[in-house]
Amino acid sequence: MPDNIYLSLTRQFNAGRVRAVVCSGQAAVLHRVAIMSKDGDWILREDEEALSHVLGVLTKHGARYRFGAPLDRRWLAGGWSAHFEFHAGPLRVRTDFFTRPPRLTPADLERLWAGAEQADIPVVGLVELAEQKKTNREKDYAVIGELSRRMTDPRDQLRYSRSARDLIELSRRYPDLVQALLPARPLLGLMGAGIEPLEVALDAERRQAMHRNEDRLAVFTRAASAWASAWPTVERQIGGQSLRDAHVTVIRHAEQLLPFAP
Amino acid sequence: MTTPLYDGRDEFLSEEDLDLRSLTQDELVAAWNLWLEQAQITNDLDAHEYAHGVFVRVPASCGLPE
Repeated sequence: MPDNIYLSLTRQFNAGRVRAVVCSGQAAVLHRVAIMSKDGDWILREDEEALSHVLGVLTKHGARYRFGAPLDRRWLAGGWSAHFEFHAGPLRVRTDFFTRPPRLTPADLERLWAGAEQADIPVVGLVELAEQKKTNREKDYAVIGELSRRMTDPRDQLRYSRSARDLIELSRRYPDLVQALLPARPLLGLMGAGIEPLEVALDAERRQAMHRNEDRLAVFTRAASAWASAWPTVERQIGGQSLRDAHVTVIRHAEQLLPFAP
Repeated sequence: MTTPLYDGRDEFLSEEDLDLRSLTQDELVAAWNLWLEQAQITNDLDAHEYAHGVFVRVPASCGLPE
């Protein structure tokens, strides 16, 4: 059976204990929706053992820190992400980590970890993936549209569908659900208005989600401005260091320059 | 609800993507690996960018063209 770097890394991260759940682009592959991302992203358990183990795996692969937060629970708990890069054969492998993915609640994460215990390759579910895909990129909303068609619960389909035709058909089948979900998704109130107004509302909804994500990222960008200014110096210092040593250096500088929460 | 809603009118993804469901696990991994290898051609273009997480670009002073 052929192996894949992201499957292999996930098994290494989870050796002996589930610590990492595949999310974002590679999760879309595992759900057989699309192959559209070069990078690997994982939601990690927010504890010292998990983070140390993952750092150890990355060290063995000769990974280096990219500009980002330290792989340390103090920053990850504030919503920051940590980023690494290494080469494996012909591939530039980028690995991105967070413990508090946007738009997922503590209850969502609790369910995620409960489900992860049963899986060979733990991967976010369709609903969690759809939430992750509410980015600033147009293409991600096409993925949400396809994901919603794979969902089996009509409530989820009504919450995530990106097709006016699908929504109208769903509303015919489940009128009571439409009423129940209306507060959460106002465009469901347009079911009687026809395809075109619904499509306009879907476009507006997408743009709103993109702007919300842009606003969220802007908060982190502002909070990281001093860290960004210092990064070239930090990067030079860690250039010749092993990842374990670089980790200590990055933390030492970040403690002075990057707030734990944005 | 298990009845498929898809009627061919609204398409979100390419036929190639939709075909992923028909692949065996080995075929999926092979297609995935091939895609990753071919995608390396854009490495120079996205050297300073981030696809995920809360960082958008590597700071401009890190060898980035102004």
